[in-house]
Amino acid sequence: MILVSMAAGFLLILMGLYGALTNRNILRMIVAFTIASTGVNLVLVSVGYLAGRTAPILDAAVPVADAAERIIDPVPQALVLTAIVIGLGITALMLAYAFKLYETKRTLDISKFTELKG
Amino acid sequence: MIRHALAVFFLLGLGTVFAGLLLGYSPDTELNLTARYYAENTANDLGAANIVTAIIVTYRGLDTLGEVTVLFLTAAIVALVLAQSRHQPGTPQRVLPPSGELLHTGSRLLVPLIVLFGVYVFVNGHLTPGGGFQGGAIVASSMLLLLLTDPLRRFGHRMIARVESLSGLFYVAIGVLGLVLAGGFLDNRILPLGDFGSLFSAGAIPIIYSLVGLKVGAEFSSMLVNLSETEKPQ
Amino acid sequence: MSPILIIAIGLGTAFLLAFLDNRLRATAYAITLVALAVMSWIAADWLFALSSGSTGPVEIFTAGTKPPFAINLRMGLAEAALTLLITVTGLLAAVFLKEPMMRLGRRSMAVLLIATMSFAGIVLTRDVFNLFVFFELAVISTGGLVLLSDDARALSAGFKYLIVSQVISILLLIGIIFLYHAGGSLNIDDLAAASAAGNSTVLLKSGALAFFLLFIALVAELKPFPANGWALDIYESAHPAFSAIFSAAAGAASLYAVDKALLIGGPAWLPVATAIGLSTFVAANVLALSQTSDRRLLGYSSVAQIGLVFAVIGQKDLLGDQYLFIAGGILLAHAVAKAGLYWLSGTLPERALTSWAELKHHPVLLFAFASFVAMLVGLPPFPGFYAKWQLAHALAADGRYLVLGLILLGALIEAGYLFRWFGYALKREAPAQQVDLSLHKIGVVLIAVAAGWGLGYLWGDLSGLGNVLTALPLLFALSFLALDWLPAKVKNAIAIAGLVAWFLVSYPGYDPLRLIFGVIILIGGAVILLASFETHGRRIGFYPSAMLMYAGLAMLIVAEDSFGFFAAWEILTLGSYFLILRGKKSEPHALSYIVFSLGGAFAILAGFAVAAQGTQPFALQGLADVSATFAPYVFILLAAGFMTKTAAIGLHIWLPGAHAEAETDVSPMVSGILLKAGLYGFFILLMTMGKTQFYGVELTYVLLWIGALSALLGNLMAIFQEDAKRLLAYSSIGQMGYALFGLALMNHLGWLMALMFVINHYVYKSMLFLSVGGIAKRTGTKLMYRMGGLITLMPLSFIAVLVGIIAMSGVPPLSGFGGRWIFYNAIMSSDARLPMVIIFLSGPIAFLYLFRLIHTIFLGQLKDEHRRLKEAPFWIVLPQMLFVAFLIGFAIFPGLALRRVDAYLGSFFPSHGLAWEGLTITSEYGYWSPVSIMIVVAVIFVVLLAWLVFLNHRAQKVKQFNIVFAAERPYRPETTHFAWNFFAPYRKALGFLTEPLVTRFWGGITGTLHGTADLTRRFYTGDGQVYAFHFVGFVVIVYLLSMGVRP
Repeated sequence: MILVSMAAGFLLILMGLYGALTNRNILRMIVAFTIASTGVNLVLVSVGYLAGRTAPILDAAVPVADAAERIIDPVPQALVLTAIVIGLGITALMLAYAFKLYETKRTLDISKFTELKG
Repeated sequence: MIRHALAVFFLLGLGTVFAGLLLGYSPDTELNLTARYYAENTANDLGAANIVTAIIVTYRGLDTLGEVTVLFLTAAIVALVLAQSRHQPGTPQRVLPPSGELLHTGSRLLVPLIVLFGVYVFVNGHLTPGGGFQGGAIVASSMLLLLLTDPLRRFGHRMIARVESLSGLFYVAIGVLGLVLAGGFLDNRILPLGDFGSLFSAGAIPIIYSLVGLKVGAEFSSMLVNLSETEKPQ
Repeated sequence: MSPILIIAIGLGTAFLLAFLDNRLRATAYAITLVALAVMSWIAADWLFALSSGSTGPVEIFTAGTKPPFAINLRMGLAEAALTLLITVTGLLAAVFLKEPMMRLGRRSMAVLLIATMSFAGIVLTRDVFNLFVFFELAVISTGGLVLLSDDARALSAGFKYLIVSQVISILLLIGIIFLYHAGGSLNIDDLAAASAAGNSTVLLKSGALAFFLLFIALVAELKPFPANGWALDIYESAHPAFSAIFSAAAGAASLYAVDKALLIGGPAWLPVATAIGLSTFVAANVLALSQTSDRRLLGYSSVAQIGLVFAVIGQKDLLGDQYLFIAGGILLAHAVAKAGLYWLSGTLPERALTSWAELKHHPVLLFAFASFVAMLVGLPPFPGFYAKWQLAHALAADGRYLVLGLILLGALIEAGYLFRWFGYALKREAPAQQVDLSLHKIGVVLIAVAAGWGLGYLWGDLSGLGNVLTALPLLFALSFLALDWLPAKVKNAIAIAGLVAWFLVSYPGYDPLRLIFGVIILIGGAVILLASFETHGRRIGFYPSAMLMYAGLAMLIVAEDSFGFFAAWEILTLGSYFLILRGKKSEPHALSYIVFSLGGAFAILAGFAVAAQGTQPFALQGLADVSATFAPYVFILLAAGFMTKTAAIGLHIWLPGAHAEAETDVSPMVSGILLKAGLYGFFILLMTMGKTQFYGVELTYVLLWIGALSALLGNLMAIFQEDAKRLLAYSSIGQMGYALFGLALMNHLGWLMALMFVINHYVYKSMLFLSVGGIAKRTGTKLMYRMGGLITLMPLSFIAVLVGIIAMSGVPPLSGFGGRWIFYNAIMSSDARLPMVIIFLSGPIAFLYLFRLIHTIFLGQLKDEHRRLKEAPFWIVLPQMLFVAFLIGFAIFPGLALRRVDAYLGSFFPSHGLAWEGLTITSEYGYWSPVSIMIVVAVIFVVLLAWLVFLNHRAQKVKQFNIVFAAERPYRPETTHFAWNFFAPYRKALGFLTEPLVTRFWGGITGTLHGTADLTRRFYTGDGQVYAFHFVGFVVIVYLLSMGVRP
């Protein structure tokens, strides 16, 4: 089960990268990267999952004493939040860039922005 | 065509690495050392019921400070990038079709509720699923709703910037207080841990998470506002 | 102060700035500067405490919990140094960025603060995920700071970076989470301990794959070839102050991150680091060759230098205690120089390399430029020099010759394009543009210069080998930098006094061999400097360069160990390069000089490193004890190095131009004195190592052949020259060939003759260069067929040339004959017959070209435009007359110098010495009585002269227009001149020997390099998506190569 979600995550990453590598349109590239990031996040949470356990929140259902036996690994959960936020930040930045790039050349074709090379 | 083939070829290579990871993966049956420590000690040490929150705000608080900074940075750069594309006073304003009564009334009803819900989510971050980022995003969604209702609406940048800046400053200040008063930078035990499971517990965690919530809300709002105020290139 | 405050202050100030009103920009700017200054101060405080030993490395815990359960930072020596580098670079960049930041407001300042903070965070953190967070902060703030540029293209460059960094962060996250799964921790030291213990799964199966992903993602930030197109675009288009941060601070931080990651990977990954680092270093340097934009060139150079440090990281296993010294030396030299050069480029409005010519009007900035170039190339006294030395020794001791060879090759290519660029700055026409001389910009550049010199001093102190910057001769030379405002005549007097004083001070320490070289360098140098009294004005830059060369030479002959020798060698090379570059048309020649010289220096470095096998300091005497396995290689490397300086045939192509195009008083210095450095090296080499066999081939025998061929071909090429100075230059190749031949004979007389050549060559070559220079000054041309009949107008120059020629051609009675006489005796006692024949042949050839000097310049018809010429200036004639007197004296009393040397050489070759009885010298084959010869020749001369005077009485004077011209004016009038192409018949017969094969060979090599560069740069299409392809392809290829060979 867990391997399925992990495999799905990897597949999303590869799909996203394929999209980013083959689409000329900047906006499509950004969307493709978002897909890949989602895949990464899926892989992240998959790694922390332990079969048959519950969320790492201590309450009546999960007393402090046997928390270690009842909860899944909280660390990937914490990491994935950070990863999501950072991914969002970069996406926002890329969108702003895309806007400015469009403003300069009136196109979103990445292959048109090659005045720097060699 | 060559590009597609090459992409497939390279991604197959990358896929091999991923396949290696996937096939070599054996799920844990027990928590590892680090996770076990959190499971066993979070309640006693930090007094937070939500272990993920304890990790985010305190144990890995430096990451979270960085995370908040990422948003701050992005908001600042987006504003910087779009500053020149802002609508110039004196040029003709865009004319948009009216957004309709339903949206207007709906947003007037919903915005306070959304804000309230957002505040609830970040204030209770140490007890329930949720927290500053989630709450902040919810608060900012009220701003989105307002913008959808009236795209030409102008918001006070100063207000947003102040909230953003002050919450960030307080966050860093609390971190430094931890260095001075408790065990290290961002240590939450500068305040009493309180009763486990109650709202006023877990030391500085609720305060930090509230600041994060305010900051995230302000940053998202500032990004939204900046994007909406940007004119389409002529 | 807790190091975490560096992060807290950076962040807090950034947040605070957002609170300020946007109109209070000046306040915001001041706050930014103060914050950066405080951050720097904290780092400096730690560096001081850690290096003085008052505190040890500390762990900083956050959240009051011990790692691995909470994030921790570490502040050790390396961290402190790098943090200081980063924060200071940030501070200086902020100063430099004043205008754009004031224009864009507080947000841009906040972004800069966060960028600086996050680079520091990358260095300090010990947690892999925290590393990721700081990396992403660095990426985003880079994306923001790129936009500070005035260059519209920066926008697309920033976007390309964001695309690639998306791919990077995907790999990084996957790597981190699987490492966490494998190791149960996110703490670097925890993971490293687990993988080192080998009892966990960290580096098995999926753990190894996870590490690979983490590693390759971090490596991507080092801009490895070829996945670095995005970085070059940023370097080229970003604001130079940001490029400085990107190169110095970001580069340092990324390197340290990889270094930390390698703690987890362990030694198994070091070869991968070496391979990536070296290929990046060499490829980026080759690519830089064909760049024309200054900032892109600096970008390639940055990529290369970071690659070099990465390759050094790959040698971590054998460097031990030296690791920080070496990696730090190269990294800091790179960071300071590169930041300095970027800042310097920020003061220039145009981007072409040639537009740096504007700097020549600003000596201080030119000095800064020169310092930065020397820092990058790793010349003394900068940190890279010591680091390179230690690195070479460690590599050679461990047998990593390929690594050493590639590093030296890359460094040579880098030196090539950097010095070419420096040549542009000094020699090209400056475009009509203004250097931005704002105080804050120039100040920042000068701080970088000061930091470079300071680090040089520090590294010298730490090296344990001797601090070059405390050597008195060097300090004396450098003091001329401060004295450059004085009139040239005053500086000249100081320089002469300094040379003589140093000779008097060091005189007692010389053995007879060193005494001869010492006299030539110091006293001889002072005599040539007399000619420099002729110049007027300030002559900016001349004295620091000349004295640098003399300092190097003076240090060379007193050097006891290989390090001192090599340091002196590089100093004299650098000084002479600047000196040669001063000539009017010497730009290309100075470049080939420095490239050949540095190539030679690197060969010497490699030779010493192989010889020392890790022993330091390595006494020069120790060359005698090099084991037979290494001896031939040491011999070949050192001999090749020395031959670049003596311009042995094959390595000679730099010499003619360098010597001929130099200034009047510089030509004798670089010919008469500088060439002797190579001969001195050969003396040391042969004295210690002696005959050495290489696969059965006697290496001294090879030298014998090289010497003979140099003598023959050098002389042959000389006879076909029309340019008098070029003729003299070529003849130096021949003369050095003789000396090398003599040395390679490996017998007593051969060496005596070589020494005789050392003295004679100095005297007559200096004298002839001065006379020809003086004549060229008066006539305005160096072409001989444009002169003629100057004997009556410039009698003193004539006498000098006449005496010089007699001395040089080896006819009685002057000292050249003595040299020849010893020479023939020496040959007789050797059995190398064929090279001997060649050497015999080249004697008469020398006479052919010397004859032309007298014949074409002084005899024949006086040119119309020369009728009013005066004798050469007094100060140029004066040293010539001293030389004439010396030559005559030396001819009569050669024993003055040679006798002691002869006895000294007896300690190496007891047999076949000379017997000195009174004024007669006896060898096995005959005797030589200089005084009788002088008398005989004088009698013959007087008789002949009387006879001529008698005949002249009846001579008829031919008037100029006595000859009837009946043809049209020819298309090229000089072709009708009898002295033009004087030796055309010989050219027909022997011209094939002077085909410029060697020039073509070296030209072919540089052509191939440039061709490769032009071909490879097409790879960088400028398309961001293609760059993402490059990166993914790079990952896959490294994966296949590194994991494929692993179990």
